[in-house]
Amino acid sequence: MSDIARGAERSAPRGHGDQGRRLAGLVFNVRVLRVAGQVAAIALLVGLAVYLGDNYQANTRSRTGYTGWQFLDQPTGFDIDTANFRAAQPVRDALWVGVRNTAISAAAGIVVATVLGVLVGVLRLSTSWLARKTATLYVEVVRNVPVLLIILFTSAGLATLPRITEARDLGGLAVISNREISMLSPVAGDGLGTYVVVLVAALVAARLLWVRRTRVSDVTGEPHHRVLWAGGLVAVVAVGAYLVLDGPVTVSRPQLSGSGVAGGISMSIPYVALTGALGIYHGSHIAEIVRGSIQAVPHGQTEAATAIGLSSFARLRYVILPQAFRIAVPPTINQFLSLTKNTSLGIAVAYSDVSALGFRLIGSRAPALQTVLILMAVYLMFSLTTSVALNLFNRRLQLVER
Amino acid sequence: MTRPSYLGKLVAVATASVLFGAAACSDDDDDGAGSEEAAESGDAGGGGGGGDVLAEVTERGTLNCGVNNAVPGFGFETESGELAGFDIDYCQAVAAAVLGDPEAVEYVVLTPEQRFTSLASGEIDVLIRNTTWTSTRDGQEGAAFVTTTFYDGQAMMVPSDAGVTSIDDLAGATVCLTAGTTTEQNLADRMAGIDHTPQTYEENSQVQDAFLAGQCDAWTSDASQLAGIRSNWPDDQGGPEAMTILDEIFSKEPLGPAVRDGDSEWYDVVDWVVLATIEAEELGITSENLDQMLESEDPAVRRFLGLPVDVEGEEAVVDHGFGVEPDFTQAVIGAVGNYGEIYDRNVGPDTPLQLDREGTSNALWTDGGLHYAPPFR
Repeated sequence: MSDIARGAERSAPRGHGDQGRRLAGLVFNVRVLRVAGQVAAIALLVGLAVYLGDNYQANTRSRTGYTGWQFLDQPTGFDIDTANFRAAQPVRDALWVGVRNTAISAAAGIVVATVLGVLVGVLRLSTSWLARKTATLYVEVVRNVPVLLIILFTSAGLATLPRITEARDLGGLAVISNREISMLSPVAGDGLGTYVVVLVAALVAARLLWVRRTRVSDVTGEPHHRVLWAGGLVAVVAVGAYLVLDGPVTVSRPQLSGSGVAGGISMSIPYVALTGALGIYHGSHIAEIVRGSIQAVPHGQTEAATAIGLSSFARLRYVILPQAFRIAVPPTINQFLSLTKNTSLGIAVAYSDVSALGFRLIGSRAPALQTVLILMAVYLMFSLTTSVALNLFNRRLQLVER
Repeated sequence: MTRPSYLGKLVAVATASVLFGAAACSDDDDDGAGSEEAAESGDAGGGGGGGDVLAEVTERGTLNCGVNNAVPGFGFETESGELAGFDIDYCQAVAAAVLGDPEAVEYVVLTPEQRFTSLASGEIDVLIRNTTWTSTRDGQEGAAFVTTTFYDGQAMMVPSDAGVTSIDDLAGATVCLTAGTTTEQNLADRMAGIDHTPQTYEENSQVQDAFLAGQCDAWTSDASQLAGIRSNWPDDQGGPEAMTILDEIFSKEPLGPAVRDGDSEWYDVVDWVVLATIEAEELGITSENLDQMLESEDPAVRRFLGLPVDVEGEEAVVDHGFGVEPDFTQAVIGAVGNYGEIYDRNVGPDTPLQLDREGTSNALWTDGGLHYAPPFR
């Protein structure tokens, strides 16, 4: 405010107390115009929002009388391809199932994309001609094809797996069919709680032992062998407690039973198709980020590391990768965010992610506007959570400069 | 009338088309003034106001008919690229009655999610798109359903060699279907207590691919749609014989035309066009014997065809007062024939769908079915 007043005063010729001139000076003052422009733009936006909101209210009231959020408590009316969801459960439960499915697919996709991306990114700089060219082929092909095509391609590929009646048992580790892939999974036994407590205690003890061994080594100069000491302690306790507690963790093996597969952890083919395809697609982008970041570390760093006599592994481990990592994190965050949003393409392969369920709910009487608003909020929440977590991580990584 | 303005409507249509990722045509593609009024009356429709679709259609010279283009027998594109089917014939019947020309139809192909928005916004004059008449659609969606043209019901299709004879045998099965319809809800009702996995796809073609790959145990949809899909089952997969439609029908799906709420004149016209096809069959009038029937002495036939009859000693034509000529029935029967002809031509035993009519709800009331027309008098 004082800025404007001062500006107005400055532009008005001193000594002339003429009101008209002062007003004209105010009108043509750049700062005043700028503020007025902002106010006008905000007023226009608010006006538009009010107009559209009012219009929406009036139209829906005259046609359906359905503007509130009470639909969230009404029964869903249809089943979802996830066990134990019943049609009588309210719409909010169905949306919650969708949010969970989206989160599961995004999290698994991120793991696949990261592992694949780092591996391929490093291979692209390999000295082996074959490894380098194979990695380049993968990156160039996958990166330049729309992700939807990759999802459909993966889905079509998985459809050629054996039918459920001829499901293939891979030595009790996994049972594969074109409806689901079931794998060996751990199952909680009776003493699991106690076992976890004992393990945590062992880890704490191992940490103390580690610190102690380091100190002993510093003082006496004898080799510390801290990995041996601490690791040995954890291993002994883990095995001992496991035997004492009579198997707190057991494994469930997938087995063919009748028309399906029982036991193990089961992944539906739509889930595998979506998650796998997103992992493959975003993996190719992450590979490029990894390669670019490694190459972005100045060559002088390599030379310097070589000059002080580091082996090629030590050079990579202690000099190049820590610096490349800092460069790679921000663009990788973007890949994670876009992978999360791309899970909405699950609708193409009949995966019940939150968008697919949202659209099915709209089809069965949930109001479109409210449902789409909820979907937008869900993706916003996913993106903001991911980016907040990773930005905090990124801040810790960056060099602290004074 | 001021608030739900034309702009608001356009925004709503635009939003809807963005949301559902489909291309809704703009409101004013033929003549601006006419459709603008239509949009206005669309708003009024929900509130129960008036409307004048009949005058608009007459003035425009074409009928905007909302249809499907992917259901064999009902509304589908033939190899020559033209639309054909049971529903398409009714579009032509309405055009013949109102405009005298069964070809004066502008077809608007719609998805299930688009159809009611399109009807309410005035983009189409009548919706004839295998649409089930339900209470909420009549009440909440601002649609008014006329007499049912096809009594359908949801059924289940399974591979013939699966050894499944009843829906109760499907415990543990994966049931595939398409989204966005009442089908999902009917399935949940029927399969309550039977362990099953519903797998929901966007389109019938996707379900078929999944089925052929062995990812589904059963396919549920309206019986007539399943018959159409079965008739097109690929020959290298065993042809139609490879699939069996189970006998049990587990929902009521009365399919028929719908118009906007609030225009009773237009409602009457569309309703009596449908009734005319039914009445013509009962009277034995077909597109082939129409000329001979014009010579008939039977007063019921003469009244129906809009011919002069003896009313209290004087020769006069019965005017129904719908705003169309009393002999609109001649145009309808001349264009598409009676109900039996429409049925046999599109979905009957001699078509790929092979839907028997005898003994079903789609027979005339005189044969134990549900099709019954009030008297034309």
